[in-house]
Amino acid sequence: MNSGTAKWQRNIFIASFIIPTLIFFCIFTIYPVAQGLYYSFFDWSGMSDTKTFIGFDNFKEMYHDPIVWRAIGNDYFLVAGKVVGIMVLATFFAVALTRFGFKMAGFFRSIFFIPNVISVVVIGVLWNFIYNPQIGFLNAFLSLFTKEQVTITWLGFTDHTIWMLLPPAIWAGIGFYMILLIAAIQSIPASYYEAASIEGANQWTQFHRITIPLVWEQIKVSVLNIMMTTLNGSFVIVWIMTEGGPDNSTQVMGSYLYQMAFRQYHFGYGASIGFVILILSLITTIVLQRLMRHETVEMS
Amino acid sequence: MNLEIKNPVAKLFFYVILILWGISVLYPLLWTLLDALKDNEQFFRNAPWALPDFPLIWENFSYVWNKYHFDTYFMNSLIITAGSTGLGLILSAMTAYVLARYKFRGSGALFLLYISSMMIPFVLALIPLFFLLNSMDLINTKIGLIFVYASSVLAFGIFVLVGFFKSLPKELEEAAIVDGASYYGTFFRVMLPLSQPGLITIAIVNILNIWNEYIVGTILINDPSQYTLPVEIGVMQAEMQYRTEWGPLFAALMITIVPVLIIYIFFQRQIASGITAGAVK
Repeated sequence: MNSGTAKWQRNIFIASFIIPTLIFFCIFTIYPVAQGLYYSFFDWSGMSDTKTFIGFDNFKEMYHDPIVWRAIGNDYFLVAGKVVGIMVLATFFAVALTRFGFKMAGFFRSIFFIPNVISVVVIGVLWNFIYNPQIGFLNAFLSLFTKEQVTITWLGFTDHTIWMLLPPAIWAGIGFYMILLIAAIQSIPASYYEAASIEGANQWTQFHRITIPLVWEQIKVSVLNIMMTTLNGSFVIVWIMTEGGPDNSTQVMGSYLYQMAFRQYHFGYGASIGFVILILSLITTIVLQRLMRHETVEMS
Repeated sequence: MNLEIKNPVAKLFFYVILILWGISVLYPLLWTLLDALKDNEQFFRNAPWALPDFPLIWENFSYVWNKYHFDTYFMNSLIITAGSTGLGLILSAMTAYVLARYKFRGSGALFLLYISSMMIPFVLALIPLFFLLNSMDLINTKIGLIFVYASSVLAFGIFVLVGFFKSLPKELEEAAIVDGASYYGTFFRVMLPLSQPGLITIAIVNILNIWNEYIVGTILINDPSQYTLPVEIGVMQAEMQYRTEWGPLFAALMITIVPVLIIYIFFQRQIASGITAGAVK
C-alpha cells in the first residue's frame, strides 16, 4: 500500500517534469518539421485554403529547375570551401596557441572568438561595406595602387560571385572550432609530447603523429558541424549580401526556399526544397562519416 | 610544460600570422565605431579607413535610437532573449534531471528524440511555423517568437544538462530525501542550485544565439513595432539602396554588437565550456 503510493508519487513527479517540455517541443519543433515534409507533396500558394495533392510533382519540377541545381552546387561549394578554410586555420591557431608557448596565447584566443558572438546580419552588413563598389574598403585599397579609381562591383559578377561569400563565412566561423580544438589539445597528456621530444621528434612530427590522431574525434565533429550548419544556415549570409543574385547565381537551397515560399508564395515548392535539404544533409553526414572513419586512438 | 619553438624565424612567422588575424578581427569593430561617427559626405569624400572629422557626429546614435526606433527594437530583443532563454532553461532542466536520475519506460527513446532533433535542418520548419503561429494568433507577437526560440534551444540544453546532472554525486539527493524533502523540493532546493555552472553556461550560449537570430525573426515578425535588432538591421540595410545613411547604419550595428561583446567579455569561460560540452556527441 505504502510502496504503491510511493511509486505513484514517483510517476507523477516524472510525468510532471517530462510532459510539459515534450508537449511544447512537439508543438513548436516536431509538428512543424513533420508539416514541412507533408506540405512538400502539395501545390499550395499559402494564401488560399486550397492545397492540391500532387504527389512527387514538386520534386519532378525541382529536377527540371536549373536554379535548384545551381543552388545545390553553391551549397556544396560553400561546404567544401568552409571545411578547408576553417579547419586549416582553426587547427593552425589551436596548435599555435597551445603548443608553442606564446606568452599572449590567452589574449589571441579571446580575440579570435569575437566574430562568433556577432550576429550574421551584422557580419553581412560589414562585408557588404567592404565590397561596396563606391565607398568600400576593397576598392579603396586597390585604388592605392592604380591611377584610376577602382570600381569593381564585387557582388555583381555574372559568375563566381559565390566566391565572394566565402571569406565572410570563414572569417565568422573559425573561433568556434578553434576553441573546440584547443580544449581537445589541452586534454592530451603532456607526457606524450615529452616522450616524443626526448626521442627527437620535432614539432611537425609531434603535430601529425600525436596531436592529429588524438584530436581526430573533434576534427570529425567539426567537419560534420560545418557541413550541417552550412546546408542549414548559410543562406542567411547569402540573403543579407546578395539575396541570391545577381540572376540567381549565388542562390543556395535555403535562400531559394525562402524566396519561393515568402516572396513568390509557392509554399509547397518551398517545402519540398526543405525536404531535399534534409535528405542532402543526411546523405552527406553518412558519406563524411565513412570517409573520416579512422582508428580512434583512445587515451588511457 | 609546452615546448617552446626554438627557431626565432619560425617563431616570428607564427607571431606575424597571429597578429594579422587579430587585426582582421578587431579592425572591423574599430571602423564600425569610427564610421558611426561620420556623416554621408565624409563617406564619399574620404577613404573608408580615414578617421572621422571633428566634431564627431555622436548624434548618429541618438538619431537611430529615436528616429529609427531602436529604443523599441532594443527592448523587444531584450524581452524576447530573456523570455526564451528563461523558458528554455527551465523546461530543459526539468526533463534533463529526470532523464539523468530516473529510469522509466521510454526514457532512452525520449533522450534520443531530443538529441536526433539536433540533426534536422531547422529551415524545414520555417514555412509550417509561419502558418502555425498564424493560426494561434501568435504571429507578430513577442510571445510567439519566445515560444519558437525556447523550443529551438531545448535539445542542446537537455543534452548538456543530462551530462551535468549525471556528474553530480547521488548522496546529496539521498540526504535530502532522508531529511524528508519531496521530489520537487529536492530538485528545486538541492539540484538546481548545484547545477548553476551548467545552467549559466547554457544560458549564455542561448542568449548569444537568440539575441543574434535573424531568419526566424524575419519570417514570424512583419509588424515594425515588434522587430528585434537583427531583423531591423536587415530591413535598414535593404533600405540603404534608396536612402543612404551610412553613419546611422553603423551606429545601429554598434548598438547591436555592444551588448553581446559585454556578455562575451564577462562570460568567456562559460562560452568556451558550452562549446566543448555541446560538441562532444
